Amino acid sequence: MEIELRQVSKRFARTTALRGVDLTIARGARVALLGPNGSGKTTLTRAIMGLLRTEGSILIDGRPLTDRMTIAPRLAYVPQIAPQMAAAVDEIVGVVCELRGLAPAAVAEIAADLGLDLVAVRGRALRNLSGGMRQKLLLAIALATPAELLILDEPTASLDAAARARFLARFAAIASGATVILCSHRLDELRSLVDHVVVLSDGTVAHDGPAAAYLSERLAAVIEVRCRDGAPPWLVEHGFARGVGGWWSRAVTPAEKLTLVPAALAALGGEVDDLVVRDADRLELTPEVRHVA
Amino acid sequence: MTAATAARPRFARQVLAAARLDAAEILRSRWLLFCAGAYALLAVVFVLVGLRESTVPGFTGIGRVLLSMCHALLLLLPLLALTALGPVIGRAREDGTLELLFSHPLSRAAWFVGVSLTRYLALVVPLVVLLVGLGLYGQLAHGQAVPWPFMVRALVVSAALLAAFAGVGLCISTLVRNPARVTTYIVLAWVVGVALIDFGLIGVLLRWRLDPQMVFTLAAINPVQDARMALLSGLEADLATLGPVGFYLTHRLGADLLYLLGVLWPALVGVGTWTAAFVAFRRSDLV
Repeated sequence: MEIELRQVSKRFARTTALRGVDLTIARGARVALLGPNGSGKTTLTRAIMGLLRTEGSILIDGRPLTDRMTIAPRLAYVPQIAPQMAAAVDEIVGVVCELRGLAPAAVAEIAADLGLDLVAVRGRALRNLSGGMRQKLLLAIALATPAELLILDEPTASLDAAARARFLARFAAIASGATVILCSHRLDELRSLVDHVVVLSDGTVAHDGPAAAYLSERLAAVIEVRCRDGAPPWLVEHGFARGVGGWWSRAVTPAEKLTLVPAALAALGGEVDDLVVRDADRLELTPEVRHVA
Repeated sequence: MTAATAARPRFARQVLAAARLDAAEILRSRWLLFCAGAYALLAVVFVLVGLRESTVPGFTGIGRVLLSMCHALLLLLPLLALTALGPVIGRAREDGTLELLFSHPLSRAAWFVGVSLTRYLALVVPLVVLLVGLGLYGQLAHGQAVPWPFMVRALVVSAALLAAFAGVGLCISTLVRNPARVTTYIVLAWVVGVALIDFGLIGVLLRWRLDPQMVFTLAAINPVQDARMALLSGLEADLATLGPVGFYLTHRLGADLLYLLGVLWPALVGVGTWTAAFVAFRRSDLV
């Protein structure tokens, strides 16, 4: 599905959530929608789903979106926070499957893969499930839907590690023709999920470009080392900051990472108890670690 | 899949899906407990009091229970309908239910119709069970002669009254987004409905020296007063029961016309306010 927004604006009473947004999302693109809280991400996705009346025009495959029911059957959506519905899980699954023409077994299979046994929770009210269980249920419904557009708002926010891994595997298997919009604050997670990044700021598009370039600018590699002896001079000399539990850390650029990791292993040798290299958003780094980066 | 193959379910199927989900919501909600509790309390109180003694000669037992109960229902039914429908859209919008549901192929019209019907039935069905149950109890357990025609009349009028305030509740729900204000408007609508009946109107008439025609008009456009007159005029058309306005209108219009007015006007108010709410809902943002 190709989505085109032309001068889309939305006001809520005294607040302007979107200000003349121009944006094109190509068919099959996997787009990360980023931005601070209140930047307009949720309003934008709701506008694309036809839930809001906006100024400007939204084109779906070249046709103006005037009737939400033209896009709804082709859409799968996972909200960041699942609704506090009193209805039982099996009622919700049954109704959605009825509307979508899906087989409940397909939803149950994906839910099981994500670690949620639908049979065990079938009679429980949705609002009585934990946040993670609700998220798994909504993900299972969305992933079971053969949608042309998937909108996922912080889909892994409440998932445990195993479910997150299973979700990422499922995500990779989404049909290549499907367009995906992923709202997330976790830049480290996006690298393998999206090929395009759109950043919103104060209701306008602040960045629109390929993911690789954006992420390499914004992501830092954090090297974390735990040594057996208290404070190895080599770590101090190379700008590592002391953390808790015997860990030392330093943020570096992706290029520095490739030289510093082998150097650390060579210099510290048997003193190294553990070593971790992870991606991190530069904005999330603590002042000490960011400073040395 | 393409736009052509992504099927849109039929409208009736969407309505059923929305109704099924809302029924599941209602069955687990505190509101249903409140509603059932209120009906049950009324039944118990009036059975205990009414079957024991009566001061009206020739009108005792279950008939008196039903009459007393109708008086109470006139106050209770508007409140139940308003609390059932008033918060429904605001709450669903607030907790994310609308956002999730409308990401699926479910039209606004289908959801609106499904939820309205479900909530309306949730109000009417327990009432039918209650009144019929009371009648059967009086007949079987106490050997009373049950006034079944009055029972049917009471049910029809009550259903119309419920429709009127269900529509008003939906209007409030659609037009008022702030949950605290929704509660205020619900209370306000209920107070206006139950205050602008005989004694309140006569008070207004005396206090501000209004034209009596104005008072009768105010009474006639209030669905509660219409329902009240329709219920009581067929049973005990005296001044003490009906009040001055009701007594005047009964003798002016006749019991049959009052009954028609008491059914048709609240039903019309219900349909009108429901339509207004539906139009507003179609034009508003869903989240």
